[in-house]
Amino acid sequence: MSTYGDDAADPTGAAVVPDQADESGTTTARVIPRPTAESFTTAGLPAALDRLRAAVREITYPLPLPSAEAARQVANAIVTQLDSYLLPRLARMDAPLLVVVGGSTGAGKSTLVNSLARARVSSAGVLRPTTRYPILVGNPTDITWFHSGALLPGLARAGEAGEEPGGMEVVAAPALDAGVAFLDTPDIDTVVDANRALATQLLTGADLWLFVTTAARYADAVPWELLHTARARGTVIMLVLNRVPPEAIDEVPAHLSELLAANDLATAPVFVVPESDVDGQGLLPEPAIAAIREWFGRLAADPASRESVVRQTLDGALAALTPAVTGLADAVDDQVAAARDLRERVASAYRGGQRDVDQILRDGQLFRADLLARWQEFVDAGDLFRAVESRGGQLRDRVVAALTGRARPERRLREALETQLVTLLQNTAADAAERAYASWQVHPAGSALLTPELARPSDDLPDRARRVAQDWQRDVLDILRGESGPGAGTATPPIGLTLMVAALASTAPAPQETTAPPIDAAAPEPSPTDGTAVTDGRTTLAAESVLRAIVGDQTAQTVISASRERLLTRVAALLDDEAQRYLARLAEAGVADDASAVADRLRSAVAEVEAARRAARLTDGAALVLPGTPS
Amino acid sequence: MTGIVDKVRDARDGERQVDVDALLSRVRALEHFLRAVDQHLPEQQLVPARTLVERASARLALSRDHTVVALAGSTGSGKSSLFNALARLEVSRVGVRRPTTAATHACVWGPPETAAGLLDWLGVLPRHRFVRESPLDGDDEAPLRGLVLLDLPDFDSVEQAHRHEVNRLLGLVDLVIWVLDPQKYADRVVHDGYLRHFHRHRDVTVVVLNQIDRLPDADLPYVLDHLRQLLEADGLDGARLIAASATDLRGTAELRALLERTVAERQAALRRLAGDVDAVVDRLSEFIGPPVAEDWIDRATIARLSDALATAAGVPVLAEATERAYRTRAAATTGWPILRALRRLRPDPLRRFRRAQQAEATTDPAPADPAAESTPTPADATPVPTAAQPSAVSLAVRIVADRGAEPLPAAWPHAVTTAARSRLDELSDALDRAVATTDLGLGHKPAWWRLIGALQWLVTLTALTGLSWLVTGYTLRALDLRELTYPMVGTVPVPTILLVGGLLLGPLLALLVHPFIRHAARRTRRRAEARLRAAVDELGREHVVAPVRAVLRAYAEARDALTAARADGEPQP
Repeated sequence: MSTYGDDAADPTGAAVVPDQADESGTTTARVIPRPTAESFTTAGLPAALDRLRAAVREITYPLPLPSAEAARQVANAIVTQLDSYLLPRLARMDAPLLVVVGGSTGAGKSTLVNSLARARVSSAGVLRPTTRYPILVGNPTDITWFHSGALLPGLARAGEAGEEPGGMEVVAAPALDAGVAFLDTPDIDTVVDANRALATQLLTGADLWLFVTTAARYADAVPWELLHTARARGTVIMLVLNRVPPEAIDEVPAHLSELLAANDLATAPVFVVPESDVDGQGLLPEPAIAAIREWFGRLAADPASRESVVRQTLDGALAALTPAVTGLADAVDDQVAAARDLRERVASAYRGGQRDVDQILRDGQLFRADLLARWQEFVDAGDLFRAVESRGGQLRDRVVAALTGRARPERRLREALETQLVTLLQNTAADAAERAYASWQVHPAGSALLTPELARPSDDLPDRARRVAQDWQRDVLDILRGESGPGAGTATPPIGLTLMVAALASTAPAPQETTAPPIDAAAPEPSPTDGTAVTDGRTTLAAESVLRAIVGDQTAQTVISASRERLLTRVAALLDDEAQRYLARLAEAGVADDASAVADRLRSAVAEVEAARRAARLTDGAALVLPGTPS
Repeated sequence: MTGIVDKVRDARDGERQVDVDALLSRVRALEHFLRAVDQHLPEQQLVPARTLVERASARLALSRDHTVVALAGSTGSGKSSLFNALARLEVSRVGVRRPTTAATHACVWGPPETAAGLLDWLGVLPRHRFVRESPLDGDDEAPLRGLVLLDLPDFDSVEQAHRHEVNRLLGLVDLVIWVLDPQKYADRVVHDGYLRHFHRHRDVTVVVLNQIDRLPDADLPYVLDHLRQLLEADGLDGARLIAASATDLRGTAELRALLERTVAERQAALRRLAGDVDAVVDRLSEFIGPPVAEDWIDRATIARLSDALATAAGVPVLAEATERAYRTRAAATTGWPILRALRRLRPDPLRRFRRAQQAEATTDPAPADPAAESTPTPADATPVPTAAQPSAVSLAVRIVADRGAEPLPAAWPHAVTTAARSRLDELSDALDRAVATTDLGLGHKPAWWRLIGALQWLVTLTALTGLSWLVTGYTLRALDLRELTYPMVGTVPVPTILLVGGLLLGPLLALLVHPFIRHAARRTRRRAEARLRAAVDELGREHVVAPVRAVLRAYAEARDALTAARADGEPQP
């Protein structure tokens, strides 16, 4: 790496004398402050920029948020700028000054460059856009540096014809002074997208941006946007107002100056080139561009001025990194927040489902029609009590069931329980999926991630819901076994069923003696013939009472709440699996969990760059004032 | 003959003849579409269509004798110069300072008052209106009578307000003359921002390459070629392209001739609107897919809904209970009285476990037990309403919603689901009511029960008579009062026959009747189930199927309307 200090010995040393001579004979109104070699050091910058580059490359914007597309472009632009300008420029502060000639299509950029080079290096023409690949023109002594590819490394160098896309033609023009090279760029406002992107990229490589516009164009919106970008980036700008017809020579430059002042660009020098016929070679008459040539001639002759320009642009570009990268970090934060928001929406939709299930169990809503009838049938058939009393009954029941071909009430109750649970879970999952879908649909990033099947529960949900119901039956038996001991003989399917019934419709642990009699007394006994006219409380109490009688009050409470808990846990797991389908979409899209750490890394990397920039003291803080305009 | 001539001319010019009635009927069809989809589709996506219907009606109601032509272009392309050249008057200020024209200027050929309404609608301020054609001109300007020429501000300068004004007016005018110049003819803002969006209006789009005086003559064909390529890329192939110069007046005669023809044809406004309708219909096409059969919500779907609703409301259980209740009650009436009493004495197995909270001994939650006669309840009395299982009802409704949503394009399923759910709350209550109030056919005791019951009593009485006779005889004999002689049938005394016969006949009768009761119980069950199902089915149709069908009908209507809005337009050449 060559730092400023290394190079200072030769070029600046040679330049010092004429500089001093200039200053002593102060006839030239040069206000560029002369840099002193000790005043700045760029030592810390390249390393900090490398780290920043790594941090910027690391970020992704998986969610299509409004800020994401812009951020992606900014990130690309930052990396491009680091690669094509900042890093190479820091490595060689003394390299020739690169003037990027930019502007609207048809503004006459190529003609201007040709005229300055006194050769037809870039084809000018009437078809828009004329220039489709960048052409770099410089003094033969400077050409080697530009050929080396350190600057704008993304562009392949082509000697003569840079026809292939992504190439840059480098042409030597002896008419140009050494020290300043010109880059003719494609247009910024043509219909050719690739051109526009390339032009924007090339602008980031400019030490000095020569903006060419015309009397017809100077109020166009597109170039002004670019001027704003350049101003924000701190690039040194000068303007050429081209093709000014004689009748406009008074009014238009004045209006342009007004516009520049209004846009905070008053320091940019403006050169006016009147509308003039080109000669046989397509070059402008020398008097029209004499002022421009002279201006660049002075710049080329004075390494100190050149360096001031470079340092100004460099400093501006470095300073502009902070807001740009902060914007990137904010966009990452947006991503994090959006991902969190989307996750939260799904979670809340499925939490709602969980709450619904809980509520429905509490309300005893499940104990309607079918299940209620089966429960009563089960109780009446006496399975339960035979199960408690003796084992012989079961065998007899089985024989009877086998002979009569009728399903035993126990099995029918079990099936009814299962069916009701499955129905409940299916509906809950469907509702939750719908809610989650709707909540994502109204989110800009969420709607992009949705697929139609997310609107409904997964296809195998009925099976899994059934498994939940079946597993829960086993759980209930385990709980009974665990509570009353394996030898107690209570862990039988009928008692398990009773426990399930009690758990499914049970509210919070009920006081034993206080509520039971009033409920029983208050409500008349249900009509057995209707099969529906039973309120749930009593069913529950019946089941609870049965359990109390069998396993004791205390144990009954314990097992009932344990069973409920177990069911709710299983339901939660099921709903979690359903919600996972949404979260999987997020993961597929590439939402990383540690994205906020990325944002932090970005912020600290750019803070480091900013610190290094301040330490480098590239400018003395005052805006660089270029030699005034001829007007 | 003229038809062929017209066709040939159409083919040459890329113009179509738009019949005003056809256009009106297309606009009406669009209106119809909007009415049909109202409430069903997201409103914001219908805004362009609504705007168009409104605008078309307004434009057609205003002067159709006038043709509104706008000069649009980038700043500095010479719109105002061209405007003045066409008007042959210094109307619009020409300047070098960009952007020059800030407000829209209008020049009217012919009596100004006839165009006043149109200009008001266009929003051109009175002080920017100019009248062409004065007595001095003689008949020179007569061919342009009916022309309203607008000079628009630019659309690419830093002045945002200009862009808004241009965008507003471009939506209203009949014909647009795009004024481009050699410097800017390939600008992105011109092509991507504007021309590309006018590809449906190529017959009311004219592109003028202005300021050709600034081009070397030799280069002009190349530039025009290139511009034509760009226009083709914009979808504007066939749009008229004229090279002109407001300075040396090249091409202005051609432009004027074109305007004269346009004014004479009185077609521009109609073509413009026809193009707009094309564009809107195109955008609306995403809401319309294949046709959906009227009976898409078919019997099978409704049957599934009814089944699910019936299960949710407990119909099968209720039907089963009805059968048991029938048997229980029949047994209560027709059973052997002695056995009835014995059965009543049978202990309820649950009682032992309910002793703790036993409130009254008669409670018996045993509907399954046919012998539980202690709590006979008239089934027709409205029982405590218990809501149908809500999840099951909700799940049932999904059957129809899913079926209805299946064939529809993406924007519709939401409407279908909403419609299917629209009366969900009502449905649950209505199901409860239906289940509670449906006559289960247990209201009265059939006559034959009474007959059998009377017979049972008779038989029992007979047995009792025999018994008491025998007891009397035994008592008398035991007390040695007197010997009672029984009448004899063969070797068996009559009281014995009475007793034994009575005792045997009762159960026999019950046994004989049993199959009938079972049969009748099953029949009652089937009847009750049929009634319950009919009630549930009706509710399902009314509360779920009907709203969904309404959406499907709206879709069909919208589809027809859009087809009408599309089909009436003549195909573009």
